[in-house]
Amino acid sequence: MAKVIVRFENGDPEEVIEVDLKRAPFQHDGRPGSILDVLLANGVPLEHACGGSCACTTCHVVVKRGLDKLSEAEESEEDLLDKAPGLTPTSRLGCQAVIEDDDAVIEVLVPRYTINQISGSHG
Amino acid sequence: MAEERAAVLEAVRDHGGETRSLFLRVPGGIAFRPGQFISCLLPIGGERLIRPYSIASSPEDGEHLELLIDRVPGGPGSNHLFDLSPGARLDFTGPWGTFLLDRAPEAEAVFVALGTGIAPIRPMLRRAVAGATHPLTLLYATARPIYHDELAALPGLTLDVIAPAAAEDEMRRRWLERDAVRSRHFFVCGVGEIVPRLRDLLRGGGYVRRAVQYERW
Repeated sequence: MAKVIVRFENGDPEEVIEVDLKRAPFQHDGRPGSILDVLLANGVPLEHACGGSCACTTCHVVVKRGLDKLSEAEESEEDLLDKAPGLTPTSRLGCQAVIEDDDAVIEVLVPRYTINQISGSHG
Repeated sequence: MAEERAAVLEAVRDHGGETRSLFLRVPGGIAFRPGQFISCLLPIGGERLIRPYSIASSPEDGEHLELLIDRVPGGPGSNHLFDLSPGARLDFTGPWGTFLLDRAPEAEAVFVALGTGIAPIRPMLRRAVAGATHPLTLLYATARPIYHDELAALPGLTLDVIAPAAAEDEMRRRWLERDAVRSRHFFVCGVGEIVPRLRDLLRGGGYVRRAVQYERW
């Protein structure tokens, strides 16, 4: 069983999920076995405005532990992350980062703000 | 979680070949930037499925919003939308997305629309031609050039419609092999693996990462 610890920057209580990765996908949004997949299936909210299709940045999480147990980020994810507010070197998109080790302990922080890019100069 | 809005389906226009425009009205209007999408919240099979669709109309169109939809065989989202009749309510969140163009690019710009990938590019082009100071080209790879006459009439835009399968070769020939200029900006949108392939072609050919913007459906 892999373990996923979820902390929230907005102060919501921490969540701890144990998950049998062999049973993925757990629901229909994001890559099977991704952080988004695991969280949603366990009732832990993570914004995913585009439905987990790697088209926005709202499922941005900061990985605090277990980064090397996640699938490598592809260029499409990196391109989107470039535009995510609060970007850190260990940022990932929850819909794309797949937990690849059944013994992994993953800890993620959900940032306070997502962005919808409404406010442009012509907004 | 994201704020939900409700739109009303006002009209439908068939473009043939399982492609359709949905004309929505959003009471109170919606502020968005050319290139963005909304995420439709569709009640299907006892759940709410999230399906993102690019906005094919312009921010200046006020309360009126156009989506361009391909019916995907076996796709629950698009089939649900195809079954809606005028008067139907459609819940959504957004706008979302970072595939954007706010003003005329300060360099030569090439827009590459693959099929219904024209949807977000249409409002981008309308914005780009206003105040353009550099050449603008639309390479439209499609067998059915929706919005053709309107696009052809945009001032200062060079429109080239090509066969769907010709995009990669055409881009290589025109913007990689023909000259050494690498200051162009690209905006590419379409369905499937072809989109990252075109991205890699351009970036691998010497265009800097941020000059190659794309959205892959």
